[in-house]
Order: sequence, then structure tokens, then C-alpha cells
Amino acid sequence: MRMPSVSVLYIDDEENNLQAFKASFRRQYEIYTAISAAEGLKILQNVNIQVIIADQKMPNTTGVEFFKSITETFPDPIRILLTGYTDIEALADAINHGDIYRYITKPWNDLELHNSIKNAYDAYKAKIDLRNKVAELEKTNDELNRFIYSISHELRAPLVSVIGIVNLVKMEGLYDTSGEYWGLIETCSNKLDYYIQKTLQYYKNNKTVTDQSDVDFNKLIKELIEVYAYTDRETQFTVDVDQQFPFKGDLFRIEVILGNLISNAIKYQKTTELNKKVNIDVEVSQELVNISISDNGMGILNEHLEKIFTQFFKSKVHHGSGLGLFIVKEALNKINGRISVSSDLSHGTTFKITIPNAQ
Amino acid sequence: MVQPLKSLFLMPNKLKKVMLIDDNDIDLRINAKLISLTNIFDEIIICQSGERAFDYLNKNLQHPELMPDFILLDIQMPEMDGFEFLENYKSFPEKCPVAMLSSTLDFGDIQRAEANPYVVKLLKKPLSAKELAELIDY
Repeated sequence: MRMPSVSVLYIDDEENNLQAFKASFRRQYEIYTAISAAEGLKILQNVNIQVIIADQKMPNTTGVEFFKSITETFPDPIRILLTGYTDIEALADAINHGDIYRYITKPWNDLELHNSIKNAYDAYKAKIDLRNKVAELEKTNDELNRFIYSISHELRAPLVSVIGIVNLVKMEGLYDTSGEYWGLIETCSNKLDYYIQKTLQYYKNNKTVTDQSDVDFNKLIKELIEVYAYTDRETQFTVDVDQQFPFKGDLFRIEVILGNLISNAIKYQKTTELNKKVNIDVEVSQELVNISISDNGMGILNEHLEKIFTQFFKSKVHHGSGLGLFIVKEALNKINGRISVSSDLSHGTTFKITIPNAQ
Repeated sequence: MVQPLKSLFLMPNKLKKVMLIDDNDIDLRINAKLISLTNIFDEIIICQSGERAFDYLNKNLQHPELMPDFILLDIQMPEMDGFEFLENYKSFPEKCPVAMLSSTLDFGDIQRAEANPYVVKLLKKPLSAKELAELIDY
């Protein structure tokens, strides 16, 4: 297989070596030669070079010095160092600072050098290909995210109208006039809305840069309980917030995290339990906040504990969306928070989270 | 003239006219129905765009009895969206309190809406009769 045209720049202060190199390799590669580092730089600035071979021992600028000088301006070409003697210091320097791909001793063996150039070009190609692929992936990912976001918005608007209509049906006393149909429509609509809201939360968590604002846990938790407990008035909340220090953190993500955990604590109660309880303890220090949310609900099976934070994990018995805790975990990752869980089927579940205070 | 309307406007107990601005015909009907069922307002002025709302407002400027006492304003509309409407409304001589109405869950939208001096609140769709009533007689 013929190689595609590969441009090789060879820098050496000995004219004889340049001639010999040209004679040996001009059939396989497009060869550029330079008698000094300065000359080599000029060529680099004008020609798209893939492989650079430089002699170490040159007056003014050595090979390693030259490679060092172009790490920022020309990071892509693959570098091969040629030296007449084994200078371990130069070698170490080359590897540490010059981003050298190969080291070849003079006088070179044609076959060895040929193979090195070939491998260097492959490395070059792999590097460029990878970079293009990453750029492509980033673009696709970004587009997909944006697509999900706008689709969720577009889907939600008519859905919200449907929920509005069901509310009107209730207000007009028509809810029970068609058997259970209105109730079923309401259940389905709410479920769909829940999924869309979770999708948006997930998207926003991925996207939004973290911001730092003052967090008043007393107020926040009161609001969240109000939002999530409106469907269920039976659960008794005991909230103990000890916040003597100001807390700075990412309000959106903290809200998402606590909101999902509180809503789960309410949702996964035992239907037979007469004293449904949720305890929330918050302790703010100058360094971090510790939050514990525990319920006396149905608990989580031991073998499920490790999986509950993975996307779309659902237990067979209790149908969740498989998104809530996944989003909690993702949001915590973004703000360097931690979560742990302990649970048993007779006493319920406790989630403990720790979030650093950016104060 | 920039006045802190939120504190200035002590809303009269009996609000008469509400103006609904929304490009979505179904939402207009749902909200109109909800308002007429609950008697929160006596009269509803329905506008399918911000432009039409201004047509109505400008046309009736000399008839204060036809001016709305409250405006429910959708955010996402083509051409003039809710925020642009507010921008234009700033220079309108006869102002009343505005509540924005949207299916948005976007934090930014909520903050942006409630930072506007003419906006008393951002209400989330579907409109809840209870929330609207609480807003009117605070």
C-alpha cells in the first residue's frame, strides 16, 4: 500500500547528512531540509509538516531546545531526535520537555529510520483523527442536549394544557361522570409530566455552570416540603436545621438534590404505616453541610443499594422513573458532594449527603 | 415614569377586567373558562398576541372603563414574547399589575420575570384558581 504523501522536515547542521537523508528517502516522502533550527522554523511556518527529525548537536540551538521551543506553536508534528553519541542528559531532557517520539543514534540505519518515520506518521494521524473525533462528538453531544431540551419544552406545553383541562373537569364536577377515565387521563398526564421534568433537570444539570449563591437551608427545605408534600398530607416532617454559618453553594443543584430525596421519602412510604415520618437534619459548618434525610418507609433491598444511583434502575415492585437518584448523584458530582445510603426493610431509609461550603 | 408598582398597587378588592395574552388558543380557552368558573374577574379581554394586546390598549386609551385591571401574560410567544411585551408596556401610560404565565421550569425565566417591576408573580401553567385568587387579594 502506498503511503499518502508525508512531509518530513530534517534539521541538521551538516550539509552532508542533509544530502544523504534526501537521497535515501526522497522517493518515499516529501523531504524538507534545514541547516539550522532557525531555518527549520521558517519551513514549519510555511509548510504543513507531519514528522520532524532534528540533530541534537547543532550550534546556537540544539535539537532538544528546538523541540522545546515549538511545543506550543507546533504541537502536532511528531518529533524524532538524532544524536551522534548517547548523551543521557539530553535524552532525559528531550523526553521530559520536548515531547520526543523516538530517539535514533547516528549514523542511522536506513531501514530503522524509515520504520520510525512510518510509525511517527501513524502516530500523527492517530492524534489528528482522535482530535477530529472528539470535536465531532462534542458537537453531536451538544446538539443532542439542545434537542432534548427544546423537545422537552415543546412536549410539555400541550401536556400542561391537558392537565389544565382535567382541572377544569374537576371544577365543573364532571370528573366522575365517565367512570374512571378522567382519573386515568390525569394519572398518565402527571406521569408523563414527571418524566419530562426529570429530563429537563438532567439536561440542566449537565449544562449549567455551577454558580455560588447564599443558601438558607431553613427556607429552602420548608419550600421543598411544601412543593412535594401537597399530594400527601399524612407524612409528618421533623426538620432540624442548625445553620449558624452562611452557606454558599449551587442553589439550583442543591434544590434538585434535596427535592428528589424529599419527594422519594414521601413517595416510598408503606401504605400500611399509620405514622408516616420523614426526618430532615441539616448541620452547616464553615467547611461543609451535612444533611440527613430519613424515612420510615418501605426501605431498599440490600442487593439494590449499589444500583439505585444508576440510570434507569427501577426495582421490580415499586415503579419509579429510574431517574431521580441518578440525577441526585450526577448533580452531587458536579458540586463535589457525596452521598451515602443505609436502609432496611423494617425501619426505612436514610440518605446522608455532604456538600462543601464555598464560603 | 418608573414607579415601584408592586408596592404602589394596592389591588382593589373587586377587580373587574383581566386581559389574557397568549398565542395558544387552547390555553386561552382553558384560562378564560377557569376565570369565568371562579368569578375572580367579571370580564375577560382575550388577545392572541402582544401586538393585539397593544392594539386594544391603544385604541381604548381614552376609555379608562375599558382598560384591564390585571394582565395574565404568556412568556413564549412568536414575534413579541412576554418579555418584549413588558419592555413596550413600560412606556404605556395606563399600567396595571401583570402576572406572567408559562409552562417554563427554567430558573432563569422565573428570576427574570419576577425581577421586572410590573410583574407581581410568575404563575406556572396550568393556571391554578387558588393561586390566582391568592395573588389577587393579597
